[in-house]
Amino acid sequence: MTSTALTRPSVQERIEAHAPVRLVSALDRVMGTVITFDVFAPCDLDRRAIHVAISRARADLRRSDAIFSLWKPDSPASRLRRGEIDEADGPPELAEVLSICRVARDLTRCWFDALAMPGGVDLTGLVKGWAAKRAAALLADSGIANVMINAGGDIATVGNPAPGQPWQIGIQHPERRDALAAVVAAEGAVATSGAYERGRHLYDPRARRYSARFASSSVTGPDLALADALATAVAVAGSEGMSLIEEIDGYEALSIGYDGSLLTTTGLSWRLAPFDIQATPCDS
Amino acid sequence: MRRAPVVIGGTIAGLAAVLSFHTSTPSLSLPSAVASRPTTRTPVATGSSGPQSGSGSTTSTTGSSSGAGSATTSGGASSTSTTAPSSGKQTVTGSLVNYGYGALSVSVTETGSKITNITIATLDDGGNFRSQSIDQQAIPLLEQQALQAQTANIQGISGATYTSQGFASSLSSALQQLKV
Repeated sequence: MTSTALTRPSVQERIEAHAPVRLVSALDRVMGTVITFDVFAPCDLDRRAIHVAISRARADLRRSDAIFSLWKPDSPASRLRRGEIDEADGPPELAEVLSICRVARDLTRCWFDALAMPGGVDLTGLVKGWAAKRAAALLADSGIANVMINAGGDIATVGNPAPGQPWQIGIQHPERRDALAAVVAAEGAVATSGAYERGRHLYDPRARRYSARFASSSVTGPDLALADALATAVAVAGSEGMSLIEEIDGYEALSIGYDGSLLTTTGLSWRLAPFDIQATPCDS
Repeated sequence: MRRAPVVIGGTIAGLAAVLSFHTSTPSLSLPSAVASRPTTRTPVATGSSGPQSGSGSTTSTTGSSSGAGSATTSGGASSTSTTAPSSGKQTVTGSLVNYGYGALSVSVTETGSKITNITIATLDDGGNFRSQSIDQQAIPLLEQQALQAQTANIQGISGATYTSQGFASSLSSALQQLKV
């Protein structure tokens, strides 16, 4: 049996109504997480061409992983961490990411410092965001105008889901697995840091210990690599981090405290997420 | 039981997969429009609050990180069955997919253009006790997350995530059948 056709708005009708229309979705595992690619209409390419473009983006993510993985002992990032090479000896991507790390360190007044991590240089705080942003740019170069890449919770976008509409991104509730804490409206990127998934991995470079003052911190802005680093800095720094973001043009933040309180910067567009959605119990 | 948080975390990204296959304009949307607000402290509506316990879950994928490059979602969506096609309501069952702890398929019920129910249609976890306890926690969460996402009218979720490949694939293949 095949599915029965339903009467529903056509893609064209939905585009004309300015409703988000997802043309192609794909999913990949790389960099130790899952990355999804969502292409939205309008897009002049056919599905096949979109998949070809996504394949290119995937290949680029694998290349980034090969350079930056600390799980691979021979990766340039691992060798840099051990002090075996200088940044100039590695591929140009290594120097590029290091320069972003320095910008992030200065912007956050050392609340984020990838160069002073336990065990040496650790770029993992922003590499995932950097790689996803790069992949999104590749898709844009291929003629895909509206696309979202979600790299394990860090989101890079190009364009809009529908004409004139910002992306609506749910922020995972740090304590309730089944709930969103809020929904933010974003143009560009959204990154979230928190210790609720991986335990105490957030490092305070000022106190030189693992600790985070917020349960979850999200940062929106044009550049996912920077947003990724800023989100980590805010989670570690707490309310002082929120003040830092206020001063950075184009970036906004939303944080959730361990007491369940929610804190946002003044320019952020956001709303609380709906709760108490009725779910039918599973009968398996 | 130790692995349970990993899989539960996976359902969050599984939800992202649900979003990825959002069928059409949601008929439900929030009453409050997106608005710019000043810096405020707002209690997040939550049943429980208090210090986060920092469970042992992780963003890494199960087992080896190499994944053998077999991570593509859809493939050829295989057999699909449809029931109750009347009055704009239909249920579609996706193909059976391995999800790391067994195999499952997911049924998605859609009324009009809205997902109204998601259930696990088939579940074969080999009778492994650990798998069963994971399933019992993860599956209701997946269902609820999917429904909430549908209602929230969002395109993605930001957070620390982990995806169970099988969940994603099976939901994908089910939801793809519902797509225009």
